[in-house]
Amino acid sequence: MSAPPTERAETVLVRRPGPEELHPARAHRRRRVVELSLAAAVPLALVLLWQLAAARGWIDDRVYPAPSTIAADGWHRAVAGQLWPDVAATLGRVLSGYVIGTAAGYALGLLMGSSALVRAALEPLLDALYVVPKLALLPVFLNMFGLGEGPQVALVAATVFFFVWISTMSAVLAVPSGHRDAGRVFGASRWQMFRHVLLPASLPAVLVGARIAAGVAVLVIVAAEQIAASDGLGHLIFDARALFENDVMFVGIVCVALLGVAFSELVRLLGRLLTPWSPRDDERTRT
Amino acid sequence: MGEPHPKLQATGLTRTFGRAPHAVDALGPLELAVAPGEFVCVVGPSGCGKSTLLRIAAGLLRPSTGTLSIRATSPRPAAMIFQDYGIYDWKTVRANVRFGLDVQRVPRREADARADAWLARTGLSAFADAYPSTLSGGMRQRVAIARALAVEPELLLMDEPFAALDAQLRTILQEELLDLVQATRTTTLFVTHSLEEALLLGDRVLVMSARPGRIIAEHHPPFPRPRTAAVRDAPEFTALKGALRELLRKEAVTA
Repeated sequence: MSAPPTERAETVLVRRPGPEELHPARAHRRRRVVELSLAAAVPLALVLLWQLAAARGWIDDRVYPAPSTIAADGWHRAVAGQLWPDVAATLGRVLSGYVIGTAAGYALGLLMGSSALVRAALEPLLDALYVVPKLALLPVFLNMFGLGEGPQVALVAATVFFFVWISTMSAVLAVPSGHRDAGRVFGASRWQMFRHVLLPASLPAVLVGARIAAGVAVLVIVAAEQIAASDGLGHLIFDARALFENDVMFVGIVCVALLGVAFSELVRLLGRLLTPWSPRDDERTRT
Repeated sequence: MGEPHPKLQATGLTRTFGRAPHAVDALGPLELAVAPGEFVCVVGPSGCGKSTLLRIAAGLLRPSTGTLSIRATSPRPAAMIFQDYGIYDWKTVRANVRFGLDVQRVPRREADARADAWLARTGLSAFADAYPSTLSGGMRQRVAIARALAVEPELLLMDEPFAALDAQLRTILQEELLDLVQATRTTTLFVTHSLEEALLLGDRVLVMSARPGRIIAEHHPPFPRPRTAAVRDAPEFTALKGALRELLRKEAVTA
């Protein structure tokens, strides 16, 4: 049934080296250049469009100040030292809340991942708490910790906790049983099992959770500062809007964006150092 | 082979992975000509570039230097069978077998008929509506074979298709494949670790060296077609297997 149909003309199909094979170094360099210029060009183009729109009066530049105005204003505030107290306040809250939340989420995730009893006891409860919007807990935290740093830090910690807890627990549960069995046959103790098998095996997935949590931590703190704080970037943004200082508002927004990017890059860098065996993101996307 | 028009011809074929300081030469230089209808088996130590050769033939990878040309009537003449089945868990057995035909936009009615015919030939008719995850390893690999043959490829590429199966199942599937290819006479490039498999199935057995893989020996198993599983018991079979094993042992040490 599969005798080749002879009436159709035969052609010769040639597999030959492409540009990437003929000039590997040049092709690699060119791809890097294209990638880097795209990464820079897309945001730059959007900013330029915004600038143009503001200059031409397509948008109301009192509501949406031109990027140049925002940059100039940000620069003056930074030089005058008016910006740093707010940045420092936000950074301090995010970092302390993040450390507490990650540590607690990781510990509980490991415990629940390795013990079916603890999992049975706590999972329904935590699942229920997980879906409560954390911002709705801010009043509770305000009652618990009073004014000051307490409520803000607690809110970030509570948010981060759930991300890290869920990713840790599922990562530990997903450790292949062959990995565990090999340790068990050698007679590994609970600690040895954790140290040699569960910790490294779960770490890549935990770090993904930690990175998502880093972004969400910044998001939550800014929202919280708008509601109940007398400093911080969130306070700055809302305060500026109330005073109709829209350029200051955008300075605050840009600072938040930069802070978020820097923070999640930091977590990613840390993750790369902690998991040298794991394929890097940029290698994962291209083979 | 003295054929004037080989189905597949490789000249000066090499492949390197990675860039300058960490570059690894995986394959070649390699010269190869495969006649139409020929079944060529490639054996060699692990990592000798056997799969790289198949991937170049399949068009999944380009060579670093040299060319590989295929005489064909269609622009996509090849079908490939992978070691880990490569069949889709989210498609039923029939839909898996029909996949290649669907991609080639064969009308649904005809595609179904052809898929069903191949399901019958591979003994899968009873499982047509099952999902692959409910099947055993041998059944899954039969699905992969049926999927590849359903498109009636001009060139069949098989990358250690039976490596994941147990020894008994392996021999059964080898015999089934033997019957199928002797009926279809599809030009085939078959990569394997198993010398027995190569000698049973191949018109020609090529032995590749350790990395970078080159062809260091060529054997024509002297068993006339149509063959049956009985050739396994022939004295020449055992002798040839012994000779190939010696050759490969030397290469495996350097690999």
